[in-house]
Amino acid sequence: MLLQEANPVLDLMIKNQWLFPVTECVHILSFALSIGTIAIVDLSLLGLGLGRKAAAPMWRSCRPWTLIGLVLIVFSGLLLFATDPDHYYLNPTFQFKIPVFLLAVIWNQTIHRKAVQSGDAPGTLSRLAGAVSLVLWIAVVFGGLFVAFSG
Amino acid sequence: MEFAASVHVYPIVLAIHLSCIALFGGMILMTNLRLLGWALTDYAVSDVVGRLRVWKAAGFLIMAACGILLAGSEAGKYYANTYFWVKMSLLALLGLHALVFRRGVYRNAAQLDDSPATPRQAKVAAILSLILWIGVVCAGRLIGHHVLN
Repeated sequence: MLLQEANPVLDLMIKNQWLFPVTECVHILSFALSIGTIAIVDLSLLGLGLGRKAAAPMWRSCRPWTLIGLVLIVFSGLLLFATDPDHYYLNPTFQFKIPVFLLAVIWNQTIHRKAVQSGDAPGTLSRLAGAVSLVLWIAVVFGGLFVAFSG
Repeated sequence: MEFAASVHVYPIVLAIHLSCIALFGGMILMTNLRLLGWALTDYAVSDVVGRLRVWKAAGFLIMAACGILLAGSEAGKYYANTYFWVKMSLLALLGLHALVFRRGVYRNAAQLDDSPATPRQAKVAAILSLILWIGVVCAGRLIGHHVLN
C-alpha cells in the first residue's frame, strides 16, 4: 500500500528518538495556540470574556497567531501521519477527526468570520458561530486523543 | 459493563484535560502577549487580565481536577515517572510565579494601564509564564510516552 517499502519520515524518527515526541509536543502546543485564540473570539461572540464588541479586534489581534498555529498543526500532523500512514488512514477515529477538523477550519473561515465582521450586536448568528466553533474544535481534540489510544 | 466503562474513563478524562489546554492555552498566551505589548494593544491591560481571569481560573480548576483523576488512577506508574515530577515542579514554579508577580503585575493592572510602556517586571512575568507553561505541556506529553508503553 502507501509507502510500505520506504518510509523516510519513519526512518528519520527511528534514527532520532526524540523527534517523534517533539513533533507531538509541537502538535499539542500548536493546537493550544490556534484553538485557544479561536476560543477567545468564540467567547466574545457568545457575549462572554471581553464581550461581544471585542470579537472583531480580538479576531484581528489573534489572527496571525491562529494562522501560525494552524500551519504548525498541519505540518506536525502530516509528519506524524507519515510515520505510519496505513495505520492512521484505516483508523476509524482518525477518519472522524480529519473531516471534523476540515469542517472546523471551513466554519472558522466562513460563518465564524462573517459573524465576527457583522458588527457589534449580539445575536443568533454570533452565538451560533461561537458555539458551533467550540463544539467542533473540542470534537477534533477528543478525536485526536482517541486516535492515540486506539493505536 | 463495568470493565468497558473503566477502559474508557482514562482517555475521556485525558481528552477533557487536553480540551482545557486547547481552550485556555490561548487565553494564557494572549494575556502574556498583552503584557508584552505585542497584541490587543487597543485594550487596557486591566481589561485583558481582569476579564479573562475567571475563565483561566475555571480552566485551571478543570485541568487540575482531571490531572488528579489521571494521576490517581495510575498512581504507581506516575510516581515512578520522571516527567511527572518535572511537570509538578514546573507547576510549583508557576504557583511561585503567581505569588511573586501578584502584587506588581496581576493585581496591579490598572497601574500598568497608566504607564506608556509596559514595565520590565510585567514583561519578565509574561515571558516566564510562557516558558513555564510550554514546559508543562511538553512534560505532560512525555509522561504519556512512558505510561502508555
